[in-house]
Amino acid sequence: MGEKPVVVSFLGLNFNLTNCLSGTLMAIVIGWFVIWLAKKVSMKPGKRQNVLEFIIDFTNGIVRDNVSDVDAQKHLSLYAFTLFLFIFMMNQLGLFLELTINGHIWIKSPTASPLITMTFAMMTLLLSFNFAMQRFGVGGYLRNYSRPIGFLLPINVLEEFTNFLTLSLRLYGNIYAGEVLLTLIGHDFAHSAGFATVLASAPLAFIWQGFSVFIGSIQAYVFVTLSMVYIGRKVQQE
Amino acid sequence: MTFQPLFAALNLEIGDLLYYLIVFAILLWVVKHYAWGPVTKMMEKRRKQVSDDLDHAASDRQRAELLANQRAAALQKSKQDATQIISDARTNAEKTKQSIISDADQEAATIKKQAKADAEQAKADALNAAQAQVADLSVTIAGKVIAKNLSAEDQKDLVDQFVKGLKD
Repeated sequence: MGEKPVVVSFLGLNFNLTNCLSGTLMAIVIGWFVIWLAKKVSMKPGKRQNVLEFIIDFTNGIVRDNVSDVDAQKHLSLYAFTLFLFIFMMNQLGLFLELTINGHIWIKSPTASPLITMTFAMMTLLLSFNFAMQRFGVGGYLRNYSRPIGFLLPINVLEEFTNFLTLSLRLYGNIYAGEVLLTLIGHDFAHSAGFATVLASAPLAFIWQGFSVFIGSIQAYVFVTLSMVYIGRKVQQE
Repeated sequence: MTFQPLFAALNLEIGDLLYYLIVFAILLWVVKHYAWGPVTKMMEKRRKQVSDDLDHAASDRQRAELLANQRAAALQKSKQDATQIISDARTNAEKTKQSIISDADQEAATIKKQAKADAEQAKADALNAAQAQVADLSVTIAGKVIAKNLSAEDQKDLVDQFVKGLKD
């Protein structure tokens, strides 16, 4: 990871253009993909519609399994669907596309930077607050922190932070480690001793890429599942 | 605005956070508007149609069962009717037969009686005719016999016979 990301300052805020560009790219790809899949929606589904319905069923299954509240399920299913596709695609992006120009890296997995994963974890956290407050009211929501027993209050409050941190850092760690190892194999190891190591690094990189695809999928699934678990726990009284 | 330089100093890319929130919101909208909405609506519609079809099938089956029962009942009734009709016809035929036979018997008896009477009549007529003829014949014969030369002996016999006949 020797390359520097492109960072510009705008309105006093730092923008990491690498992450912005990669994320936008993936958002466009997902948008195009789902629109393409949903082009001909009919009562008797075609191949594309079947694929889309399969993904929808999959993410709906995650929501159904972890959120018992039916009303919340309805609102969360779209979030779960989009979140899953977005994180999945961002995880995979760095595996096949890393664009480096003049020592600056322009495209890589955005989920390999902690701030992006924290953004998603924060979204989940805020959503869980929102759903809990809609369900129990602000007072009821705050009282839930002292349930089932009063002295658990600090632990419950602390749990919010740990949930947030573990949710974001798990994803970040997995993807970042995958990219580091891929760089180590494909860059440092391959260039260490000439032609022989280049040859030897090819199968290693291939294997690790395959494994990273697996990790990326699993982590997207885990992220969405845990998001739903956290939200689901908030909307039901203990 | 002291926190902005602070973020800059920490080298935190807070802009990314905002940017990602916006991108995600737009993506949510696009997905909902162009893919999620239509497809889930269609899935719901399909679910409804399947359940409707199942309900329809159940009611159809019920109606078919009803119809089958009605048909079986009608068949049963028509069978009964047919049996009734056949037995009625048989009774009628029996009656007709009896009346025909008795009529025939009567007629036969009448005919027989008539025939008998006719025969009696014919017999009586025949006898009368015969008697007349016999009388004529005997007269003729007697004439002939008388006309012939009667021997004494013959004459005697004839008289004897006649006398004998008178005696009887």
